[in-house]
Amino acid sequence: MIETFLSYLNQNSTITAMVNIGSMVLFFIGLFGLLTHRHILRIFISISIMEIAIFLFFIGSTFNKAFTAPIVEEGYTNIAVMNDPIPHALILTAIVIGMAVFALGVSFAIEYHKLTSRTDINEMNEMGES
Amino acid sequence: MNFKRDISTKTYSGFALSALLVLTILNVLLQNIPGKVERAGEKLLELNAQEGVANAVTTVVVYFRGFDTLGEIAVLFIAALGIGLMLSSHSKVPHKEESNFILQKASKLLFPVIMLFGVYVMIYGHLSPGGGFQGGVIIASGVLLLLISDQNFEIPHSVISALETFAGIAYVLIGLIGLVVLDRFLGNFLPHDISEMGMLFSGGIIPLVYIVVGIKVGSEMSLIVQNLIKRNDDD
Repeated sequence: MIETFLSYLNQNSTITAMVNIGSMVLFFIGLFGLLTHRHILRIFISISIMEIAIFLFFIGSTFNKAFTAPIVEEGYTNIAVMNDPIPHALILTAIVIGMAVFALGVSFAIEYHKLTSRTDINEMNEMGES
Repeated sequence: MNFKRDISTKTYSGFALSALLVLTILNVLLQNIPGKVERAGEKLLELNAQEGVANAVTTVVVYFRGFDTLGEIAVLFIAALGIGLMLSSHSKVPHKEESNFILQKASKLLFPVIMLFGVYVMIYGHLSPGGGFQGGVIIASGVLLLLISDQNFEIPHSVISALETFAGIAYVLIGLIGLVVLDRFLGNFLPHDISEMGMLFSGGIIPLVYIVVGIKVGSEMSLIVQNLIKRNDDD
């Protein structure tokens, strides 16, 4: 019973489905936070969570148990069974950019709070909309 | 106007929309059975062997997408510049709470080790998992440890600006030398023989470029961390 369950979990398709559905759940946790919270720092954190879900989805999309890491080493020289290096490189770029943009947003929020002592985006009325 | 009611209707409609999105994307995903998907990296892995670099991810980031990485570093620099403009003030105040004894002593012990590990990850980026971005961030975490343990520690601004300028100019210069010697920007003009794959000195310009990227990322992240910690709340 337990063995069959574990072997079911150990299949490629199960792991891919778990990563896909899990990253989507994480994405919608981020979206929920984005829609329900009005505090500016919480909005930035929600955007970061959505970003992380996308990273997870990209990395998990090329997962295969039979593949090795895309690094040539002794005993691992067969190119045909190596993992795809493109999502790894893309996500490496995206992580750094996401972190820099998050830090910039937080610094804007800190400066805005210092100037106006407000954090709620509903109370932002600098342009005089309503 | 009641903001609360307004938000909740928006939220409900947003969630109805997102549930639709979930169903659509799930449908698409469940039709994509792994194994049927074409791998885009097959050709890149074959090309990677010609450059004599063991780590294919490094080759993609630094060589095939080298110009893109230059743009990414520019984005990082602009973000660091924006944070510096936003948060830096003329009177840098030490933060109020003094750290405890254990943190003060342990940071002095750990800082060289963290720096050594960061430099190792940076230099061996073409042979093992790691590289300039990861090594730079590890070095910035060591600087963060010093910043939270010592109230009066401050990175000398001249050092940071010298490192950053050197790294940026070196990246562009390596690319331009490739343009002059070979036919394209960031051409691999140093010897890169496949028989040397796996050695420290292999891969031509690729390890050099990744070390340069590591210096730039490390200095910029350190600057960002320092600006966020040492901001002046009083004015």
